[in-house]
Amino acid sequence: MKAFLAMSVTEFRLSIRNFVYMFFAFVFPPMMLLLFGAIYGNDPTPFYNGHGAVDVLTPAYIGMILAVSGIMGLPMQLAEYRQHKVLKRFKATPISTGTIMIPHFVVNSVLCIIGTFILMIVGKLVFNLHFSGNIFYFIVAYVLSMTSIFSIGFLIAAIAPNNRAASAIAYLIYFPMLFLSGAMMPLQLMPKAIVTLSRFIPLTYCVEILQGTWMGDPLSAFGKAIIVLAVIAVVCTGVSIKIFRWE
Amino acid sequence: MIKVTNLTVKYKDLVAVDSISFEVKKGEIFGIIGPNGAGKTSAIECLEGLKKSSGGEASVMGINPANRRELYEYIGVQLQEASFPDSIKVKELCKLFSSFYKNPADYNALLERFNLADKKNAYVKKLSGGQRQKISVVVALIANPQIIFLDELTTGLDPQARIDMWELIKSLRDEGKTILMTTHFMEEAEYLCDRVCLMVKSRIAAIGTVKELVEQAQLSQKISFTSKKPDREALKGIPGITKITENNGVFDLYGNGRNLLRDVVLYITEKNIDFEDLSCSKPGLEDVFLKLTGYRLEAVI
Repeated sequence: MKAFLAMSVTEFRLSIRNFVYMFFAFVFPPMMLLLFGAIYGNDPTPFYNGHGAVDVLTPAYIGMILAVSGIMGLPMQLAEYRQHKVLKRFKATPISTGTIMIPHFVVNSVLCIIGTFILMIVGKLVFNLHFSGNIFYFIVAYVLSMTSIFSIGFLIAAIAPNNRAASAIAYLIYFPMLFLSGAMMPLQLMPKAIVTLSRFIPLTYCVEILQGTWMGDPLSAFGKAIIVLAVIAVVCTGVSIKIFRWE
Repeated sequence: MIKVTNLTVKYKDLVAVDSISFEVKKGEIFGIIGPNGAGKTSAIECLEGLKKSSGGEASVMGINPANRRELYEYIGVQLQEASFPDSIKVKELCKLFSSFYKNPADYNALLERFNLADKKNAYVKKLSGGQRQKISVVVALIANPQIIFLDELTTGLDPQARIDMWELIKSLRDEGKTILMTTHFMEEAEYLCDRVCLMVKSRIAAIGTVKELVEQAQLSQKISFTSKKPDREALKGIPGITKITENNGVFDLYGNGRNLLRDVVLYITEKNIDFEDLSCSKPGLEDVFLKLTGYRLEAVI
């Protein structure tokens, strides 16, 4: 337990020192919200079925924060640790493999939650953000989305032969995913081909359930999305554990 | 402390370690020496529980190295080319590793001893190569280990840093630690190791103290001097000399025998042969290696 705690505190500290990661997790989403909030305001509009633009964009940007942590932060940390034999060095101690690996997931989850709060606080202070859903449903949607996205990140770390490949794959997935999932811009603004394509992007389903439960829909309205995310989580985690190399 | 019997390590079809056997005694520095690719790292990592053996047996303090978590209560390791997280500070790293053990050593005292006390708040990546290697030894010692494994610890260090490291390793042995190390520096092995095993092409070619290996190899000593008025024929009469070469007045005599130098000096003085710049070079580990393999280790690195 002592070791687990020390590992988590250390990983947290190291993540905070990663400027790019901190920018995309803590600064970029509120910046986007301020920009689009300034353009569209937060008054109810028929375009968003009677909701304000900021109220709709905020849960989408939460999806963006999950993607930064899961697709960029997590796999890049793990791949670097493997490449520089840090994982191997940790194995050369009496701690369990769980104590080596799980803190990465815990710390990135905590960073997501902090990022989410920063975004919501900015939304509330500047645009009087509303949450009109069931908080329990929203938390379920949040945890499921996070698990699913993190499992994809874990898979990237498992597949990538070195840390350069890991960051290449991470960037290659992260940016298109943001644009094609509705996490950055509402899908309603996109041409039909992009909307079709978005059905193949896991983050689309995250944005769908985060936005839906935020607006007040019950979880039962998102059966398909929930199944897709759960299957991704199980398959990616299983495959990653199976093929993960320590060096 | 360590007992290895017919240990074999394979990667698919490649045999990295081919049925090696040796023992390491308590309180000694045991060195595995050989060129790159000889299987030194595979062998040591197998004993550290980081690689699976494909055959044979190994026991480290009576523990099968496959029981990794039990093993690491008693051993401390420095791994070849392994580094620490990029943006971690020395103190944070030491604290982290201290949390892994029930009775960690006091890292402040270790940093003091390794002359790194003023680097506590420095980032590990900003340290010099020698300082980083010292940190990896400090981290190994946080385990309060009875056996320390060092894999190519001084590779890439400048000569002064290497000599500093030698003294530190000796001091660890002197306080009762057992050390198993790999190196491809013959000098280092001659200076540090109580016993060595020479590993060539996945196998052990020779094992023993440096002195024993040199004696076993029956290598010639070389005695050189310059002479203006030599009598080559007369030199042939010196007992124990088997070969004589001459180059611009410099004579090299080769031969065996405990008192070879004395015999040579007595003989040439008696015969009134003038001589200057007399020197005697004894064969070392490098020469043993050359004799066993037919090439110089320095030539392949």
